[in-house]
Amino acid sequence: MIQSGIERKPRSRAAAALVAAAFLYAPLQALAAEPALADASAGLATTRTYCAGCHTESSPAHFQRLSVIRKSPEGWVMTIFRMEHVHGLALPEEARDTIVKYLADTQGLAPSESAAGRFALERRPNVPDLQMGDDLPVMCGRCHSLARVALQRRDADEWLKHMHMHVGQFPSLEYQASSRDRYWWQTATTVLPGKLGGLFPFDTPEWRDWKAGTHAQPTGEWLVRGRTPGRGDYFGTLRVASQGPDAYSAQWSVQYADGKASRATSKVRLYTGYEWRGTSEWESTEVREVFALSADGQRLSGRWFDAQRAEIGGDLTAERADGPAAILAVSPRALKAGTTQEVVIAGRGLKGAVSFGPGTKATTLATAPGMLRVSVSVDAKAAIGERSVSVGKTAAAQMAVVYDQVDRLQVLPGNAIARVGGGKIAPVTAQFEAFGFLEPRPDSAVRTPIALGPMNVRWKLAPRNEEAVKADDVKFAGSIDASGQFMPGAAGPNPERKYASNNAGDLSVIASLDQGGKELKGDSHLIVTVQRWNTPPIY
Amino acid sequence: MNRPLILCGLALALLGCGSAPTRAPLRDYILTGAKPDHLFVIDAASRSVASDFRIPEANGWVGSIATTADGKVAYVLVNRMESIAGIDLTTGKQVFRADLSQGNERVKSFFGINVTPDGKQLIVYELPTLLELNEYKVQEPRFAIFDTSAGLAAKPVRQFPAPRRVHMILPKKDGLSFFALGFQLYEFDLASGKLLQERGVRDWNRPDYSLPDVLAFWPVSEPTGVFSTPTYSMHGAGEGKPGVQRTSLMTLDLGSGALSYQDFEDTVALIFSTAISPVKGQAFGVYTQLTKIDTVKGVLADRVDLAHTFYTVNLSSDGKEVFLGGTTCDIAFYDPDTLKQRANMKLPGCPDQSISTMRVIRR
Ligand code: HEC
Ligand code: HEC
Repeated sequence: MIQSGIERKPRSRAAAALVAAAFLYAPLQALAAEPALADASAGLATTRTYCAGCHTESSPAHFQRLSVIRKSPEGWVMTIFRMEHVHGLALPEEARDTIVKYLADTQGLAPSESAAGRFALERRPNVPDLQMGDDLPVMCGRCHSLARVALQRRDADEWLKHMHMHVGQFPSLEYQASSRDRYWWQTATTVLPGKLGGLFPFDTPEWRDWKAGTHAQPTGEWLVRGRTPGRGDYFGTLRVASQGPDAYSAQWSVQYADGKASRATSKVRLYTGYEWRGTSEWESTEVREVFALSADGQRLSGRWFDAQRAEIGGDLTAERADGPAAILAVSPRALKAGTTQEVVIAGRGLKGAVSFGPGTKATTLATAPGMLRVSVSVDAKAAIGERSVSVGKTAAAQMAVVYDQVDRLQVLPGNAIARVGGGKIAPVTAQFEAFGFLEPRPDSAVRTPIALGPMNVRWKLAPRNEEAVKADDVKFAGSIDASGQFMPGAAGPNPERKYASNNAGDLSVIASLDQGGKELKGDSHLIVTVQRWNTPPIY
Repeated sequence: MNRPLILCGLALALLGCGSAPTRAPLRDYILTGAKPDHLFVIDAASRSVASDFRIPEANGWVGSIATTADGKVAYVLVNRMESIAGIDLTTGKQVFRADLSQGNERVKSFFGINVTPDGKQLIVYELPTLLELNEYKVQEPRFAIFDTSAGLAAKPVRQFPAPRRVHMILPKKDGLSFFALGFQLYEFDLASGKLLQERGVRDWNRPDYSLPDVLAFWPVSEPTGVFSTPTYSMHGAGEGKPGVQRTSLMTLDLGSGALSYQDFEDTVALIFSTAISPVKGQAFGVYTQLTKIDTVKGVLADRVDLAHTFYTVNLSSDGKEVFLGGTTCDIAFYDPDTLKQRANMKLPGCPDQSISTMRVIRR
C-alpha cells in the first residue's frame, strides 16, 4: 500500500448519498473477455464502479478525463483524495488501492519521465525545486513544487481544465501575493496550457516503450548500503520474496558503521513496473520506502523515511548479491594521517589481503555477508590524496582519501526550513551535516577539491541578521543537538516574544571543527517558520 | 435564531424607547463580525456589547460588512463568500438574503460587496464557476445588483460583466456609480454597468515606482467618506540599483472621486489596513503596530507596538478615538494623540473576528 499521508476526515452523508446516486446510472458492465492480467481486469472493474458515475466511460476502458492523464502513484492518490473529499466519492480503502495500482500501471510515468521529480516522491527535505524558466516558478511553484507539475503527463486541453480546477476550487488564488501582481488567470489559461502540454504531453515514446516492455522483478538477494544523515553509513543485506502479483516481502538486515545492527521486514508493492513502495517498522518507527528498480533489475535506489515525519530518513542503494567480485563502498572514506581507525568495506566476493596503498597498513577484523570490517593505520607522513582500495584481486579507484587536515567545511543543506510543531502537527526538524574537503595544494597530488565525507563537528546556532538579534531568535526558535539535528520550538503565539509572535526565526547554523587549536567553520541558513496544515504526498 | 442582547442604550437609540422625552444624542456603535455567525453591535463609549446577533446559515464564515451611515441594516458576506445576509440592526432579524450560488453554478464574492448610500441597492462582485459532472468551468466575473427590499430570496435585478480580481466595491456618494478596486481602480455606471473610467493602480503613472501592491479588503470609508488603503512599491529601482520599498497611502474621496497617493515612509512595518480621521491631517494604520500618519506633511507621525495583530482600524465620528478590531476576539480603543490604549474589550465567548470588517455607525 502506498502512503497517502493525508489525515482522513469522515465524509458527509449528503455527499456520500450524492455519489451513490451517481452510481445508479454507472453501467456495471460485464468485463470484456480479453486475456488481460487478473490484476488489470479487477482494476478496470473497480475503476468503472467508483469513477464512471462522473467520468463517463465513453468507449470501453476509456473514461472521460481520467483516461487522458498519466501520473505517479502518489499523484493518483492525491487526485483520488480530492474526488473523495471535495466531490464526495465514497471509496473503500481496498478499492482505492486497486484503482491506484491499476491507474499507476496503465497510466503511469516511464522511469525517465519520473526521474527529475523523484526527490519529491522521496520526500527529500530542503532540495531545491526543478528549474523551469522564469514564469512557472512564480505562476505555479509558489504554492507547491514544480516537481508536482513535472510528475504528470497530459495534453494542453487537460492542463487548461486543471487551471479551471485551481481557480474554481481556490477562488482566492488570483488575489494572493505573486498572483495579484500579474494577470495570473489570463496567463494560466492562454500561454501555459500549450507550454505544459509541450513539456509534459500525454503520449510519449518513453511511455509507449515502457508500457509495452516486460519488467524485471525485484525478487532475490541484494546487498544494501546507504546513509542516514546525522547517524552515518549503514550496510547490509536484503532478501525479496514474491507474495503475489507485484507484491513482495522484503527482509532487511543492516549494520550501521557505528556497529549497531537492526532488522526489519517490509511489505512492498511494485507500481508501474519499477516504483517500489514499502512499509516497514524499524526500531519501532513506522517507515515508508520509495525506491526505483532499475530497468535491468540490477539496482534499487531511493529513500526511506519516518512515516510521520518524512524529513527524517536515509538514502538507499541496493545491488544484486550475486555478480562479479566488486568493492562497492568504503566507510568512512577519509583516513587521517597518523591515526588508526576502523573502516567498513562493502562489496561482493571480498576475499584476500586488504590494501589502502603506500603508507598504510590494513588488517581484517571481521567479515559479514557483503562486508569486511578492517582496521587501517596511516603513517603520519603518508601522501595525501585519493587512494585505490583492494581486497585480494578486487580493486576500486578513488574509494578512500588520506588527509592531514580538513581545508574546508561545507554545511548541507545550505538553505533549510524547519517548522514549529504543536497540537496534532509534529514539528518539521532539519538535519545538518558538515562535509570536509581537501583543497588543491602545490606540494601534493591533490589537484581539485576532494570530498572527505561528513565530519564530526560541533554545532551552534547564531542570529542570521540584525532583526534576528533583536527578536532573540536563537533563544526562541529551537535548538540543535550534537548530531546536527535542529528541533524547532512549539507552535502558536509565544507571550514571551514581542507582539506575542510565534517561534519563527532566521538563523545561521554553524559547524566548527577544532584542528589542533585552529578552528575551521562552515555555515548554513535556516529559516524556522509556521506549520503546514496538510501534508500531501507530493509537496 | 437571533438572540439580541438588547441593552438599554441601544434600545433607546435605535427604537426611540417610546417615552424618551428628548432624542438622545447620537452615539457611535461599532459593528464587527465573528465566527461562527456573530454580528456584534458595540456601544463605543461604554465599551460594551449592545447586541450579539446571530446570522442564520453563516456556515461558520463571517466576512465583509457593508452598511449605510444611518446603520439600519448591515449586509454581511457569509457562507464562505457565497451568501449575503442583511441583518436589521434594531431587531437582529434577517431582512435580506441573497444566496449567490444557484444550481450547478457556484458563486463566490471575494469581499466585493457594498451598499449604495441610500441603502437601496446592493452591489456584489461575483466569481462564478460551473461545477459539471467531471469538470470545473471558471466563468467570467460579473457585477450583480440587488434591490435591498427583495427579501429573503433575493435575485439580482441586473448583472453586467466585471474585470477579474476585484476585491473591493465602493459606491460613490451620489449613488450613480461605483468604484471597483483590483488591477485598476475602475468606475462603473450603476444603472448601465458601463465602464466609466479606469484609473491608475496598475498604470498609476508614477515614474520611478514599481507597480503598487494593493489588497486590503476592508471597505471602510467612515467617518470621512474617504476610503484609504496602504500600497507598497519599489522606488528608484533599475540599472543595478535594488531601490527601496515605500509605503504609501492611497485615498479615494467617494464624494468627489479624487484619488491620491501619498508616500509616507520606507516600508519598515507591514500595515494591513488604514482609516482616515476627521481630524485634519491624521490617518491610522494597523497590523502588529498602530501607525499614525501625518497626511499634511506625508510622513510617519508615530508608531506603537500592539499586544497582537489587528487587521482592521476605524475611528469614532469625532476622530477622538481609534478602534482596532479583526483577527482575534478583542476590540482595542486608542488615544489618537498619545497612541496609548484607553481600553480593551473582549467579545463574549472570545470568538475570532478573523477577516471580518469593523464598521462604525451612528445612531
Ligand atoms: C462525484 C463525481 C466524481 C467521481 C465519483 C469521481 N470524480 Fe474525478 N472528477 C470529478 C470532478 C468534478 C472533477 C473536476 C474537478 C477536479 O479536478 O477536482 C474531476 C476530475 C478528475 C480528474 C482530473 C483531475 C486533474 O488532475 O486535473 C481525474 C484524473 C479524476 N477526476 C479521477 C477520478 C477517479 C480515478 C475517480 C474514481 C476513483 C473519480 N475521479 C471519481 C468528479 C468525480
Ligand atoms: C494558490 C496556490 C497554487 C498555485 C498558484 C498553483 N497550484 Fe497547483 N495545486 C494547488 C493545490 C492546493 C493543489 C492540490 C489540489 C487538491 O488535490 O486538492 C494543487 C495541485 C496541483 C496538481 C496535482 C493535482 C492532481 O490532482 O494530481 C498539479 C499537476 C498542479 N497543481 C499544477 C499546477 C500548475 C501547472 C500551476 C501553475 C500554472 C499551479 N498548479 C499553480 C495550489 C496551487
